[in-house]
Amino acid sequence: MTSKTEEKISYIALITPALLIYLAVIAFPIVFSILLSLTNYNGGKIFGNPNIKFVGFDSYIYMLTEPTRNFYMALKNNMLIVAVSVFGQIPLGFILAYILNQKVVKGSNFFQTMIYLPNVISPVIIGILFKSFYYGQNSVFMEIIRKFKPNAEFSILSQPMIPVLIVILWMYTGFYVIIFLANLQRIDSAIIEAARIDGANERQILARIVLPALSGVIVTCAILAISGSLKSFDLIYVMTGGGPASQTRVLSLYMYFMAFMGAPNYPLANAISTVMVIISFILIILTRRVEKIFGGKE
Amino acid sequence: MKQAKKTMIGILMILMLVLGFAACKGKESGKIELTVLNYFDMTVANASDEITVIWDQFEKDNPDIKLVREDLFNEPFHNKTESYAASGQMPDVIYAWPSGRSTTLHSQRLLKDLGPLVQKDNLAPLYTPVALDPSQQASGYMGILPQSMTATNAFFVNLEVLRDCGLEPAKTYTELKAQVPILKAKGYETILMANEDTWVMQSCLFSLVAGRFCGEGWEQKILSGQAKFTDPDFVAALNFIKTLYDDGIINRTTITTGYGDVVGLFATNKGAYYIDGDWRVGAFITDKSTGQALISPDKQKDIRITVFPEIDIPGVKLNRSNSVVLGVGWGMSASIPAGSAKEEAAWKLIKWLVGKDVLAWRVQTGGVPSPSRTDIDMGSLNLEPMQVAIANLGKEYDKATVVIDGAFDGPVYTPLNDGLQAIGMGSQTPQQVAAITQAAFDAWKASQ
Repeated sequence: MTSKTEEKISYIALITPALLIYLAVIAFPIVFSILLSLTNYNGGKIFGNPNIKFVGFDSYIYMLTEPTRNFYMALKNNMLIVAVSVFGQIPLGFILAYILNQKVVKGSNFFQTMIYLPNVISPVIIGILFKSFYYGQNSVFMEIIRKFKPNAEFSILSQPMIPVLIVILWMYTGFYVIIFLANLQRIDSAIIEAARIDGANERQILARIVLPALSGVIVTCAILAISGSLKSFDLIYVMTGGGPASQTRVLSLYMYFMAFMGAPNYPLANAISTVMVIISFILIILTRRVEKIFGGKE
Repeated sequence: MKQAKKTMIGILMILMLVLGFAACKGKESGKIELTVLNYFDMTVANASDEITVIWDQFEKDNPDIKLVREDLFNEPFHNKTESYAASGQMPDVIYAWPSGRSTTLHSQRLLKDLGPLVQKDNLAPLYTPVALDPSQQASGYMGILPQSMTATNAFFVNLEVLRDCGLEPAKTYTELKAQVPILKAKGYETILMANEDTWVMQSCLFSLVAGRFCGEGWEQKILSGQAKFTDPDFVAALNFIKTLYDDGIINRTTITTGYGDVVGLFATNKGAYYIDGDWRVGAFITDKSTGQALISPDKQKDIRITVFPEIDIPGVKLNRSNSVVLGVGWGMSASIPAGSAKEEAAWKLIKWLVGKDVLAWRVQTGGVPSPSRTDIDMGSLNLEPMQVAIANLGKEYDKATVVIDGAFDGPVYTPLNDGLQAIGMGSQTPQQVAAITQAAFDAWKASQ
């Protein structure tokens, strides 16, 4: 056996298990989900069911044109979460990491732990805590307010996404603080020292050295934030259940409700999941383009 | 040679063990095994006794039947049901609704028609006629044997709160409206409701309101195309919901009140009235295992249960009416072969679950307010004041109208419920909600 053949065999042997697992748990479900979204499948057996027919893009058309416009509401909410994640969590995470890295506050280890703490608590627990403490007329927060103003009423109903966005911002910022902090500590201090000797001020060091050095990390964070935002489910399900009037529903919740609530509509649920995959691809490609245009070199 | 002997003895011993296990298994497999999906409502007082009183007792009485039971509650129950339906692997016996949340089981014909079995055993005299009426079920045949009749509007009146404000229970809408500022001044809500969930408002309040504004059989007119959701009477019903919010009778913040929280609010005198379904009484009575009750039997004497007061505004076609639907019950998987031993065992279990003993027990524990059987002497049962009041709820109304989620499918009642919440939030007008509901109905009808 030649060394090239041996190399080929070992390559195939090493790659096959991973490829099989990938095909079984990722590629097959995606393709199957897309196929299901093109049928009229409505429960019961899938294989050998004579009632299943291909109906083309009917579910996609219904999703985009149905009278309650649930898809657009869910999409808007997802985009709000993406915006809060990318333009809220990442900048805030960077600022907090920068402050902690500069050692301008005492007890930075304590603050680092406190900022990261929400990440180690289950989103379900956080959802329940926020709901019982802050959300609704009978929350603990309103009980306290009523001690001072007996007729006070909870009135965030007109914008029910706001409390959800606040919790999301609070909950995940710590994750980015840790990522930025680790990468800030990797920047060679000699470069910063040299810049200072050359007369660069703090703002210039930040703009010309630190941010370009972290551009790759920022893109990675943005990708994580976008993909994380699109799969938001647990926190919102517990906090608001997608209500009131479906106004806090996101795409994953919409998909869940279509698949498991009332009379299920599996093709529609699969169409929603396909659209979610497409949207996340588009957003990630956009992020990479932005990094290519504005990003520096690490 | 010695080694060979040892090996032979070893093989023989293993063989004997295997045969022994097989024999045991054979004996066990001589039993008929039934898989059961049970809805286990832990909020009902005395729920934990269900295992011994119902399930263990059945197995004791029927040693030839083995039950493999799965207990789930609320959304996880419905999710699992849908998963079973999607996979085509139904449990042999399943707890189900006659329509609404169990629509898939009916529309996919996953439940066996129990009509012939009911007829064979001549059960008709033992049940109220409506309980055995196939047209009351989404499939059009008897997919389930119902255990109860359900009134989805129960208007709980807290006499203690009213006394504290010098008030009497409101008999009309105008009286109710006049009580709002007096109750508010004392820090009480007028009507408590849990409107956060996606079904409560349409089921527990709006079904009654739609019935009163649109009259009996209004849903049939819409289903047959003779009427529309955008017709003036239905819009007037939606307008009445807006009026309830605008007049402060129902606080807009009820839209953020969860179904599990509201019972505690009513029990702690946070409001003068409370709207829910008749089934909710079970949450208030004494749990015999702890001796604790959310509302003690003594205090229950201060709770009156009736229906929503007379709506004395123009356009109302009915008063003293309530929204009523066939209650939950038990069905059998359609895949069980007819005439098989398994069918016989499953039918035996269903007859037990909807039988006199079990239903009498469920009535006493608050699980079933109004049983579907006619041979239960309610007077002989040990009931608390609220249970007696709910058993007499039928005397509080003369007409029964439809429950919306029993008459229409999810794609129609879900946008309607969303719309009822949106009216409360002020983000949609009654006309807009009517138009969206009609469009959702048209889209649903086109897809059928």
